[in-house]
Amino acid sequence: MGNEGTYPYLLLLWLLPLAGAIVNWAFGPQLKRAAGPLGSAFVGVSFIATVLMWGAATQGVPGGAIGAHQSLFSWIPGFDFGLLMDPLSLLWTLIITGVGFLIHVYSIGYMDGDKAFARFFAYLNFFVFAMLTLVLSDNFVGLLVGWGLVGLASYFLIGFWFFKPSAVAAARKAFVINVAGDVGIMFAIFMIFASVHSIAYGDAFAFTSYPSGWLFAICLCLFIGAAAKSAQIPLHTWLPDAMEGPTPVSALIHAATMVTAGVYLVARCAPLWSHDANAQLLVGTIGALTALVGAILGCGQWDIKRILAYSTMSQIGYMIMGVGVGAYEGGVAHFFTHAFFKAQLFLGSGIIIHALNNEQDVRRMGGLRAKLPFAFWAMLTGVVAISGIPFLGAGFFSKDLIIQGALEHGHPIMYAVGIVTAGITAYYMCRMLFITFLGNYRGNVDPSELGIRHPELAGTPAHEEDDAHESHGRAPAWLMNVPVAILMVPTVLIGWLMFGGENSPWAHFFAQTFPHETMAAPAPVSEMFTAVIVFVCVIIGIAVAWMRYGAAPAAENAVERLRVESVRMPAVLTNAFYFDAALDWIFVRASQLLGTLFGRFLDPQVIDGAVRETVFSAQWLGTLVRSFQTGLMRTYAFLIAIGATIFMIYYALAAGGVK
Amino acid sequence: MLVLALILLPIVVGLIMLVMPSRDENPVLAKSIGTVVAAITFVLALGSKDSEFSYQWLSRPFQAALHFGAGSISYWIVLLLAVCTFSAILATNLPRARAFIGHMLILEGAMMGVFLAKDLLAFALFWDVMLLPVFFVLLGWGEHPATAWRYFVYNFAGGLALLMATAAFGILFGSTDVIGRPDVHVIGAWVPWIFVGFAFAFLVKTPVWPLHTWMPLTYSDTPAPMVAVVSAVQSKAGLYGLIVIGMAFMPDYLKAYGGVFVVLGVISLLYGALTALIQNDAKRVVAYSSLSHLGLIIVAIASFNPIALQGAVIYIIAHGLFSAGIFITLGYVEEREETRSLVRLGGLGASNPKLAGALCIAALAALGLPGLAGFVGEIVILTGVFQAGYTWPAILALIPIVLAAAYMLRLFQGIMNGPQVEDLPVRKDLGWLEGIALAPIVLALVVLGVNPHALTTFDPAAYNATHVNQGVATR
Amino acid sequence: MDPMSVPVADYVGLSAVIFFIGVAGVIVRRNPLIMLMSIELMFNAANLLFIAFSRAWLHNAGHIFAFLIITVAAAEAAIGLAIVVTVFRTARHVDVDDVALMKG
Repeated sequence: MGNEGTYPYLLLLWLLPLAGAIVNWAFGPQLKRAAGPLGSAFVGVSFIATVLMWGAATQGVPGGAIGAHQSLFSWIPGFDFGLLMDPLSLLWTLIITGVGFLIHVYSIGYMDGDKAFARFFAYLNFFVFAMLTLVLSDNFVGLLVGWGLVGLASYFLIGFWFFKPSAVAAARKAFVINVAGDVGIMFAIFMIFASVHSIAYGDAFAFTSYPSGWLFAICLCLFIGAAAKSAQIPLHTWLPDAMEGPTPVSALIHAATMVTAGVYLVARCAPLWSHDANAQLLVGTIGALTALVGAILGCGQWDIKRILAYSTMSQIGYMIMGVGVGAYEGGVAHFFTHAFFKAQLFLGSGIIIHALNNEQDVRRMGGLRAKLPFAFWAMLTGVVAISGIPFLGAGFFSKDLIIQGALEHGHPIMYAVGIVTAGITAYYMCRMLFITFLGNYRGNVDPSELGIRHPELAGTPAHEEDDAHESHGRAPAWLMNVPVAILMVPTVLIGWLMFGGENSPWAHFFAQTFPHETMAAPAPVSEMFTAVIVFVCVIIGIAVAWMRYGAAPAAENAVERLRVESVRMPAVLTNAFYFDAALDWIFVRASQLLGTLFGRFLDPQVIDGAVRETVFSAQWLGTLVRSFQTGLMRTYAFLIAIGATIFMIYYALAAGGVK
Repeated sequence: MLVLALILLPIVVGLIMLVMPSRDENPVLAKSIGTVVAAITFVLALGSKDSEFSYQWLSRPFQAALHFGAGSISYWIVLLLAVCTFSAILATNLPRARAFIGHMLILEGAMMGVFLAKDLLAFALFWDVMLLPVFFVLLGWGEHPATAWRYFVYNFAGGLALLMATAAFGILFGSTDVIGRPDVHVIGAWVPWIFVGFAFAFLVKTPVWPLHTWMPLTYSDTPAPMVAVVSAVQSKAGLYGLIVIGMAFMPDYLKAYGGVFVVLGVISLLYGALTALIQNDAKRVVAYSSLSHLGLIIVAIASFNPIALQGAVIYIIAHGLFSAGIFITLGYVEEREETRSLVRLGGLGASNPKLAGALCIAALAALGLPGLAGFVGEIVILTGVFQAGYTWPAILALIPIVLAAAYMLRLFQGIMNGPQVEDLPVRKDLGWLEGIALAPIVLALVVLGVNPHALTTFDPAAYNATHVNQGVATR
Repeated sequence: MDPMSVPVADYVGLSAVIFFIGVAGVIVRRNPLIMLMSIELMFNAANLLFIAFSRAWLHNAGHIFAFLIITVAAAEAAIGLAIVVTVFRTARHVDVDDVALMKG
């Protein structure tokens, strides 16, 4: 896999963010406000190194394909580590460092005045390093290392405001669910190592004689990891809660990069998946289900970040469906476009949240178009892109690749689900857009009139935030606006890379990366047809949203309408299909119950009880023997006499007497 | 001779500290002397790799020698012991410091004797000696005398079994000067009993379920610096014994009882993890987590797989480091807040960021975060266990990894995160001396986590792990 | 009369009688002086047997043992009387049932 060699740029781009993390962590108090620019600079230079590495990796490879490999060291024989740069890892690296850099810059403005400013950048840099480890590793254990470390970074950043109990709980939940995923990957590694005796991708993919059933088991276990990290059903429940973290974190980790690691994993292991149709079916189905469920749940949310979180879950569902069924280019393309438009949506929502003093409930927004025109345009381009309006946004191109790919690989049901979900997506994104920006400002309306039952739970309570934010807005506004503006360009345009079918730059880039399956039959409908159907669904979605929230009569009595909708929201939606409750009962409470049984009953009563019984029986024996010990000389004499008599009788009878 | 110095130096200094008249109590001096002795011991330990000492002691009824030397496993454990003792003494802040540090040094010397012994009889004698300081500290500094007696009864029962097994071994084989010799195998009608005697002692000491009930009490009652050393190193004596005695001399019997060991190990893994989930005493959480983690090593040893054994050695060291780190940090917390109840504690991180960082790293290593030493041990062990054909144990052993994340985060977050508790005393953050105490442990965790190559000098083939299942699923 | 005209069995019988009188004395009486005397009786029963068999089998070992026992008995009596005196000094009277310090 790739040209063996020493690549200084590769090491540089990988280790720079780590250096940034260490510097920011160790010298945070001294750096003060310099921590932000410094942390951003490390990632920025890493991005430049990535671009240079891109050039270096194509050197000397026939056909201009990208491939570079550098060995590092080994743990024990069989556990060898190295870095691998191929089209797939290059794509991820570009996003991680590129979009990562923009979000770092944005964070300088967003986090300005926070007490733990340097700590934030240390974590953020650490995350970039961990994510790079994940995508650059040339083996499964290295991937798992990165996998665990991004989970840790995510944990730190979700629980960044660790004085908030809700943030602490959300962080723990995210970490534990992700460890469950790690464990899945770990088991896949066991199976791979037991059969291949190596953990390198190359060896595992080249190996053909896995015992029967093992390939499916390996794919299944890998996918448990992917599902946990990429918020697929039923392991998605941590993602909405993860929005407790600062908004730049949601943009970088919980939208653009980390949560797409599952897509990366499936795409990376494409040679495994291509050999097992059951695994493909499973992953594709879960992806499609997640896309649909995420979209439906997105319709019932009031917290702007939770709407975006469910939309992220749904979009990743698309990607997983794509890579699952074998449309790897499509799934990866959607990762690429999604990274831009979702980062932009989150950063845009961050501008709103920042401007409204940490208000996140869309019911208390409204009419913000006049107040925050830049945010409006940012959100609008993002919504256009995610909804898949033809040619106007990047999402259209990549989403169509996936939907069409599902059909081409023989999964008509997934095809249908993809189309329906596209419509729902357009609906809930426009719903968010219209409620937030159209009509009149409702921030001064009493929360109960808007149907907000627990105002203190609705968003991040402003007063607690004030502890962390000593002063708002010392940093210039352009620090937050410029990254968003830069992101708007790819959000609108980047999709054209995927335009043109076989001859597109996209197809060329990945020409030698993925296994190409020969189709049994050509797809029954053309791409054009699919695009039209999707467009119709999208238009319907937008139209419904417009009628309910955007059109003049709806906008006029918005307060009343929102109150009614809040109150009548079906319990199934407010409880997110009861996934949380189910996981809680099946895993959390069951473990606690067992733990209580063991710790409060079995340990002190039964096991220790058995030991105590042994001790007591020894005591009882002692009491028995003690009763002979009267202390009276005459008793002893009597006992001696009896003993002597018994002895004599025995000697006389049994031993046959004195000869 | 170097190895003899390793054993005698701490013991002699410790005894002198104990018998000195008690009126001139000077904790700073005692701590300095203890730290310096521990540091010297560490330096000596570094150079002890090829050092050996032997003195013929008994010739009847069997040959026995005071024979000491570092083997490929014991070298690392001895280093671990020296590091942990150094850190623990430096972290000591207790009343009657001189006597306490004296006990710590005696404990160190006795454990040096256990791990460096090349003679079974010397091993068994130092085994009993190493129990005494803990017993006396439990009596003198613990909260309940009953705990001390429980520790005493359990471990001396084990010690007695060990001594009897050693004697029987000596009579049967003619010599006890055998540890580290590759040519020694015993067979015969009595060997199963000898094996059971050794195994009982080792399993009580480790401990495994259901012989563990002394352990949570001991770990929560013993002062933090000593429990750091006990959980880090003393608990490894049983595992070390299983490898260098059980596996080396009686492989057939270890293999025959392998199923039992695996079952006990897996039960310990799950039982410890689930129980740790609901403990409210911070030290008990770690105690039960130890039960869980050490169960994994038992499984690794019983699997007879060379990869799992290499993982076991890595994990022995890793567990030593992170459990010492956690206990020392919890000691700091208890010193500051005068409680270790997770119900009472909370929000310390805001005013003690360094303390929070230290506990965080130790807890992360314990829950098997990739990049720290615990993860290496876990994944290498389980890869080997699975390769050896133990599919279900490997699957079941994955559950405690998830549970570990839950209980370790509960521990960390319960102490450090959340809103600050009003009525808890507010004390200074970690001082530089306290930081230095933790530094070597944290450093070693990171270095070994990134590259544990040094630890793999251990060759499982020397311990009869050669004729093992390397193929797939033969069992 | 030749002592050996009395059969050995008679000596054994007499010795047994004396011995059991001694045993009964130790068990029944509470006065330590009487108990010491009863112990002396048991010693002498044994002595009588030693002498009788020594004579019957013409072997000197019995005589030697008899002297040894006389010596031991003397020593025992000395120690016993010393204990009795000590007990009398502390308790002002002597009754073995009152000396039960070794009760478990």
